[in-house]
Amino acid sequence: MSNEELIIKLKPIVANYAQDKLALEQINLDTDFIKDLKINSANLVDVILDVEEEFDIVIDNESMERMLNVQSAIEIIEAKLVKK
Amino acid sequence: MIGNDIVDLEQAERDSNWKRPGYLIKLFTSEEQFLISSNIQPDCMVWLLWTMKESAYKIDSRISKLREFAPAKLVCNNLIIHDNTATGNVTYNDQLYFTKSVIEESYIHTIASITPEELEVIKIQIIETKEHSLRFGNPDSVSHHGKFLAFVYA
Repeated sequence: MSNEELIIKLKPIVANYAQDKLALEQINLDTDFIKDLKINSANLVDVILDVEEEFDIVIDNESMERMLNVQSAIEIIEAKLVKK
Repeated sequence: MIGNDIVDLEQAERDSNWKRPGYLIKLFTSEEQFLISSNIQPDCMVWLLWTMKESAYKIDSRISKLREFAPAKLVCNNLIIHDNTATGNVTYNDQLYFTKSVIEESYIHTIASITPEELEVIKIQIIETKEHSLRFGNPDSVSHHGKFLAFVYA
């Protein structure tokens, strides 16, 4: 999957928790989940669980540590998809 | 260096389903999960532990300038709950933090510091407002959630 395709799949997931709707509309590789989308940190785990379900992957704690923005989320998803 | 974190319990109930499979295991150590499952008010324990972790994390990230989402690496221990207050420790990256919490009907608020002495002199101001950018004086740490805005001053 290309970055664009992954962002298209990621957007409705983060949309459930993003408080900044304008930042959501402009979502790109640099978008930070907490600083830009204003996702509550307790909801970041929901994003991760939703990503696991959507892509049928398991995100280990080490990967989760880095999942603070779209760029790293996509890198992690791609790496996990390759291993499937 | 001090930190603080507030959880609006109504907002948390609306926004977070901590009973969701896989949720607790990503946020809490097995000891913390036991504290939650064995408590008569598990919701309260979830958010008490969460504010402890967040308040300590805020100190760490300000010092280290590094960010990570590793809630289970922030380990809560020595938790003592007395009436509506709680004290405890959090360890993270080999640093020990001291915490003090207040558990109210509508919110849980925790302050954290590196030394127990600092904790004793912290002044706390909690107000109900949707204006999250509001400030009074020069607080050392700010936390907002739902309808609550909390400031702490060293």
